[in-house]
Amino acid sequence: MTITFPHMGRIYIPVKALFDDLGVPVVVPPPVSKRTLEIGTRISPEMACLPMKINLGNYIESMERGADTIVLTGSCGPCRFGYYGIVEQEILRDQGYEMDVVILDAPGRDPRPLLKQIQRISGSSPWTKIIRAFLNASKIVERVDELADILLRKRPRELKRGESDELQSRFEREVLKCRGSKEMLDFIAVFKEKADSIPERRDASPLRIGLVGEIYTLIEPYVNLNIENKLGSLGVEVHRGITAADWVKTHLSFDLKFKRERKLKLKKCGNYLDLCIGGHAWETIASTVHYADTGLDGVIQILPFGCMPEIVAESILPAISRERGFPVMTLTVDELTGEAGYMTRLEAFVDLLSQKKGKEYEQA
Amino acid sequence: MKIGIPRALLYSIYFPLWKVFFMELGHEVILSNHTNQEILNNGVKICVDDACLPIKIFHGHVTDLIGRVDAILIPRLISIRPEEYICPKFIGLPEMIRYSVPGSPELLVMDYNAYSSEEKGYEGMYRLGRELGSPHSSVKHALNKAGLRQAAYFREMEKGFHPMEIMKRMNHPSERYNTWYKDSFCTNAGLPSKMSAKNSKGTIGLIGHPYLLYDRYINMNICNKLAARGYKIRFPENSTQEKVDGACSRYPKKLFWSYGKRLLGAGLSMMESREISGLILLTSFGCGIDAFIDELLIRANHREFGIPLTTITLDEHTGQAGFDTRLEAFIDMMEWRSRYDNHISPHGAHLYSGQGPV
Ligand code: SF4
Ligand code: SF4
Repeated sequence: MTITFPHMGRIYIPVKALFDDLGVPVVVPPPVSKRTLEIGTRISPEMACLPMKINLGNYIESMERGADTIVLTGSCGPCRFGYYGIVEQEILRDQGYEMDVVILDAPGRDPRPLLKQIQRISGSSPWTKIIRAFLNASKIVERVDELADILLRKRPRELKRGESDELQSRFEREVLKCRGSKEMLDFIAVFKEKADSIPERRDASPLRIGLVGEIYTLIEPYVNLNIENKLGSLGVEVHRGITAADWVKTHLSFDLKFKRERKLKLKKCGNYLDLCIGGHAWETIASTVHYADTGLDGVIQILPFGCMPEIVAESILPAISRERGFPVMTLTVDELTGEAGYMTRLEAFVDLLSQKKGKEYEQA
Repeated sequence: MKIGIPRALLYSIYFPLWKVFFMELGHEVILSNHTNQEILNNGVKICVDDACLPIKIFHGHVTDLIGRVDAILIPRLISIRPEEYICPKFIGLPEMIRYSVPGSPELLVMDYNAYSSEEKGYEGMYRLGRELGSPHSSVKHALNKAGLRQAAYFREMEKGFHPMEIMKRMNHPSERYNTWYKDSFCTNAGLPSKMSAKNSKGTIGLIGHPYLLYDRYINMNICNKLAARGYKIRFPENSTQEKVDGACSRYPKKLFWSYGKRLLGAGLSMMESREISGLILLTSFGCGIDAFIDELLIRANHREFGIPLTTITLDEHTGQAGFDTRLEAFIDMMEWRSRYDNHISPHGAHLYSGQGPV
């Protein structure tokens, strides 16, 4: 059994550590590329979500490198994510790929199927070992996100342009050489220190923009055309409405404090949206309200074409923007999204915000 | 109070429930007009671009009611069966309307959420009834009556009748609610009344969401066109829930979209029964649910059944001519094959045809 899994931003780092710890061979799919997307698009239904197309590309590229078992998480609606696994399985089967697909579904009334699945992909390790490996992996998720946060803060402030980006690429190049969670954690710690010590300009007062929207699109740089770095290079401090660590804490952990705070934040946007409609649309609305309240300069929503919950959010956002005088822009991406047009829109939005900020500054 | 009901989305399925409920509570129910060009244009104009056609059209129907009613009913169909949903957009529909439709009167948001149990489903209706000022006992009574009416309606559909036929038969002078039959969607469904089994060439399965199948304007009058070529039609609503559930059990994971499941299950059981000569999947551009459901149907058919199948995608730019060509070509292919080609494995061009909107 050689395991692989779909890419989603930097989630491959903790996942690799997890299987290393369990002693299960794992293939990290090659970074998402044009080829990945082409493979996925060719075999997926045209109207499938973009994330699913890329998942399929990941599987096939991993299989070319010897993987035979796919592990992914599921959910029970209302959105399509919960049924990715089944549709993917059908597609792979018809394409003649013999892959085992293991779907880790959130446990319903009976947790046993989930436990069985976990044991199956853990190479029958004892439970204590499995639990320890999972705990370490979730620690890595958090550390990786912390590192990303530092870089987000540094990018608009760095003295030497491009230093943060460079550190990030070095990190991503080298992190896969680590084996197991311990090595990984040490490695991340070293880079956190390096990131922290990137020298800053003293006079910087960057614009602050919140990123909200569909989680996969937010997290996977290939799909969002590396929006975090692009905004950073435009001198913007980026705030992320939802991160991989948030997702793990919401769905896979017992962090009650985090869950309480999340609830509170969600409740605060109650007059706009007061229930979960699937995906992360509720977070999109809640984060936007939160960012407006906490004085950010604007929000960008990103969604893949046809994303059902985010379309609902998209139609609510203009109201928030209107009522609070808070700039919001929506970017829809699909497999044809071109770099140039995208960059133009980002630049125009950033211009708009800095003009607005300038005016407010004069008035004050 | 004059309550407006948009003649869109699942109105074609739940109209009896809603109408009887509000009438029993002493309100007047007014429907928006049948979908027309103006409604479509309005919907396209005010709704976000990325939305699917049926949602845009719902927006148009809401604007159509403005100025004619005191309040507009916006159903929030979160879940119509335990542990299932319909589609994320159905859950967020009231918010989409509230923040996109300018100048609308009061919106009556009616939740329907049977996720934890069937009985719980009615709680939202009960709440709304009370908010509208009716006492506990009348609301209960109205719910009861409305529920019975709805159940009768479902039973008739499962017997294989098209909604229009049901309405016709039920449209008897002794009927207290007969006005709504006259007035209801079915006159718009476009099914010709005379379709005797004798002179029909066969049956075509028509798979799609109710708001595509039972709205003649959106579906380019497909039912009449099929009938004119001599075919009877089977709709997903004609399958019992047991059949649907049974057919879907082949998949290792429970489907959690009620209509997605109905479309898939009905389609599979039509194919399994071998009683259809062809299958048409009618879908709207940008429908997230159909993207998966149609894929599963096409793959199952490809592997096991080999029944002539085509997908027709509708969007706001769909033109009559292109649609007709597509439909005619499919029927021709189907008939040609049944004459000359019965034994040949039916792979080929038609299988994935019709991917782009027409
Ligand atoms: S949230 Fe969007 S991208 Fe995710 S499954 Fe749903 S439709 Fe697809
Ligand atoms: S099921 Fe499809 S057509 Fe219906 S509202 Fe949802 S996305 Fe639109």
